[in-house]
This record gives sequence, structure tokens and C-alpha cells, in this order.
Amino acid sequence: MSDNEPENEEIRSDGAGIVAPDDETPTWSERKARKTGLSRLTYEYFERARREDQDLRTESDYVERDVLAFPTWPHETVRNLSIASFFVGMILFLSATMPPHIGNPANPSSTPAIILPDWYLYWSFGLLKLNPLNPELAILGGQKLMADRTYGVLANGVVVGFIAIVPFLNKGSARRPVEQPFWSAVGVFGVVFAMTISLLAIKNLMPMNVDLLFDLTFLLPFVFGTITYAILKTMREGYMYNLNRRYYRLRPPK
Amino acid sequence: MSLERKDDYDHKAWMKKKDLTPVEATFLTTLIWLDKRLRIVDYLELLETLYYRVNLQMPKSHTEQYNLDNKFWYWYPLYTLGLFSTLAYVVAAISGALLGFYYSPATTGDPTTAYSSIEFIMRDLQFGFMLRSVHRWAAQVMVAAVFLHMLRVYFTGSYKEPRELNWLLGIVLISLTMVFGYTGYLLPWDQLAYWAGQIGVEMSLSVPLAGEWVAQLLFGGFSLSQSTLQRMYIIHVFLLPFVVTTLIAIHIGIVWVQGIAEPH
Repeated sequence: MSDNEPENEEIRSDGAGIVAPDDETPTWSERKARKTGLSRLTYEYFERARREDQDLRTESDYVERDVLAFPTWPHETVRNLSIASFFVGMILFLSATMPPHIGNPANPSSTPAIILPDWYLYWSFGLLKLNPLNPELAILGGQKLMADRTYGVLANGVVVGFIAIVPFLNKGSARRPVEQPFWSAVGVFGVVFAMTISLLAIKNLMPMNVDLLFDLTFLLPFVFGTITYAILKTMREGYMYNLNRRYYRLRPPK
Repeated sequence: MSLERKDDYDHKAWMKKKDLTPVEATFLTTLIWLDKRLRIVDYLELLETLYYRVNLQMPKSHTEQYNLDNKFWYWYPLYTLGLFSTLAYVVAAISGALLGFYYSPATTGDPTTAYSSIEFIMRDLQFGFMLRSVHRWAAQVMVAAVFLHMLRVYFTGSYKEPRELNWLLGIVLISLTMVFGYTGYLLPWDQLAYWAGQIGVEMSLSVPLAGEWVAQLLFGGFSLSQSTLQRMYIIHVFLLPFVVTTLIAIHIGIVWVQGIAEPH
């Protein structure tokens, strides 16, 4: 420790000596030495992490941002400003050309024929109409385990829960859809399902047979998912072929 | 011996010795004057540390490393959806604050005060019709942009390794955005709003175990009333703005710290 060295020990009265702002503040090593258990582990980890950062920084492919990156001014700033003005202009244009209107005042005694939330909640509204999928369990004597409504509300939780655990199911460094056909197919399945379930939500406005609509709601996502999978899988062959060809051009087999 | 306090750190003599330019002298005098009162040197030190932290050397991004700048631009529209939703949020916040000057959440009267105040905004208020339209469209655009933003993140695999927590935070944000939309949808208290509220009450009553508690908390009872509208209003203009703004700041902050995930 530097404050144990003799030249820092003497107290100078002329006020010219440089005094550390707060020599009570312990260094990381001192804090580590005082601690036990979890806090000691924490400090040890901090030291390790800082050393790791330092090593990474000294590696050769690390560069000064200011030199090589896209300049903030004027390029990035002008681009962001123009995009921002374009977007805000778009919102103003939409609101000037298609203003919303207001319906009749609320009347608790007359239920309207069509009850709908905003479009972005149609998927959730559609999940409430899954009654035919609610299994009638033989063990309960043909009774349903839960009410249709409860089933629909829980389906919301299942959908959101599945989306939430995606990063913990799909690991690895693949980024492009062509590198991960299965998960892209899952994504297309989800998008198409979101659309079809929204259409199911407005089934009394749809000019088609309700049973057919219900079947299509669950068939179409599988169809589109499978097509996506087939296309991407085929594309991946060519993609990998190109990668391999480039690799073997660089390093021809002996 | 004089009674005058001795200047232990004789800054004036030190400054004279230094032979400073007027700019430097003014700066130092101001700095010393402020520092004697506010101890700002401590804070300047903190700032200095921050400065060095911020200007750390960063790794080359993927586009820099493989010189993809000329190919990256056509992805850019997909990569700006997050900014787009933030902008729509800001537009909605501004127009919403203006609407809040004229709206009152009360179910008294026939038609109700809430409904009449919307009618007032649309009919009598200067630019009121446009104002409501802007608020409505900003909300619609925000939800759409957030959906598309999520799709972009999914299909470019941007939720992967260091970014799982931000993905979870994003799911919380998209849900809160929809709650924002739902609570706002109920405020005009017209037929659509009323019966959408009815469905909301029934849905929360259908939640297993906690259903009645949820309905009481969110809707203020098992059927729609003044307290429902009041709660929707407070959630829409007080609770959610604080929570969502904070979460958006954290969401963007994490993106800033972790960098943008470009497709490899």
C-alpha cells in the first residue's frame, strides 16, 4: 500500500503536500482482505473481471472508436433527425387523413352486437374463443377441468410465457434465419398464428364458415411454418456450400 | 500576530507565481471560489473517472470488422423500429398531456361527463379534433412499431446470449404498451369502451385463485362504475407513464451498454 511507505508518513505543515482526497477509502484489495464469504467472492470476481477487461482491451483487434466508427456528427445525427422528422410527419399525416370518430355513449342496458378491443388485442380476444379445444376429461366424467373463460385467460399466459423463454431454448451463435431454419419456422408460425387468431376473434365479421375459420386458424400456421422450414433448409445447403467453397479455396486440402 | 485566518493553501500566491492568461485566471478563481463552498473537486474527480470509463476502447463491431458498412444500410429501416416506437411514445405523451387539460374521468350525467368532455374536445376545442387524432394514431403506431421491433429482434436472433434480460424486459414493455392502449381505449366511455371494459372485468374474474382480487384492484369492483373509469384514468395518465418511461430508459440503456446486435 502506498500510504504505508515512509515518504507519505510525515505530515507537512506548510500545506503544500498533496493529500489524497480521502485516505480512508480502502482499495479493492483491502476491501477483499477484510471480507469473508460472499462479499469476498464478489470482490475477487471484480478484480478478475477488471483484469479480463484489461486483457481484452490490449488485444490487437480492439480499436479507438473515434477513429474508425461512423461519425456521430454530421452523418449519424442528420440521419437520425431526418428519420425522426419523417416518422413524426407520418403520424401527423395519418391523424390528419384518418381521424378517429366516437361511438354512442356507454349504455349498460343494451349490449351491442359487436364487442371488440383495439386491433392489437384481437389475438388475446381470439384466445378466449378456444372452447372446442378445452379438453373434456374422462376422469372427471366428461366434465371440463376449468371453465372455458379460465382456459382462454390461461392461454394468454402460455403464449407470453413461451415467447419469454425463447432465449433460453434457442442458444448458439446462429443469427440469420438461414442459419436456423427451425427457429425461423417457429417465428413464422407465431406471426401467422397471431394473424389467424385475430381473425378468429372477429369471426362474426368474417364472411366465411366459422368451423372452417377455426380449423384454418390452427392449420395455416403449421402450413406456413413448414414451408418456411423447407425453404430455409434448402437455402442453408447452398449457404453452407458457399461457405465451404470459400474455406477450401483459402485452405486447399493437401 | 494577526487575527486574520491564515490561508493554509495560499492559492492566490500560487496563481501569481503561475503567470496565467486572463481566461485561465478567471477559470481558476471561479473554480477555487466554488470549490471552497461546494467541494466540487470531489465531483470533478468522479466526472474524470466517468470520462475515462466512457472513452474506453471498444471492440470493433461486426460491420467494422468485416467491412459490411456498404451492405448494412438496407437493414437500417428494420433497425430503427425501436427509435420509431420511442418517438411515437413521445408524440403520444405530448398530445396526451394536452388532452388531459380538457378531459375529466366522471361517469355522472347523461351522456357521461367523460363522454361529453371528449365531445367538447372534438367539436368545440381549437385543434381538439386533430389533437385526439394525433394521440390515437401515435398510440396505434407505437403498438405496431413495437410488434415489428419484436419480430426484427426475433428473426435476427438478437435476443441471444448477452441480451436475454433485455428480451424479457421487452416482453414486459410490449405488455405494458398494450395495457396503455387498453386503458386509453376505455377512457371515452362510449359503447365500445364500456363493453371492452366489461370483457376486461370478466377476464380478470376468470384468473384462477386471484381473480376477484385482480378485478377489485384494476377495475374497482365486479361491474363497471365510476371507480372503474377513475382507475383506468389513473393507470393511464399516472402509473403507466412513470413505469413505462423508466423501463424504456433501462431498455435503451442496456442496448447502449451491450451494443446493437447485427446479423452475422
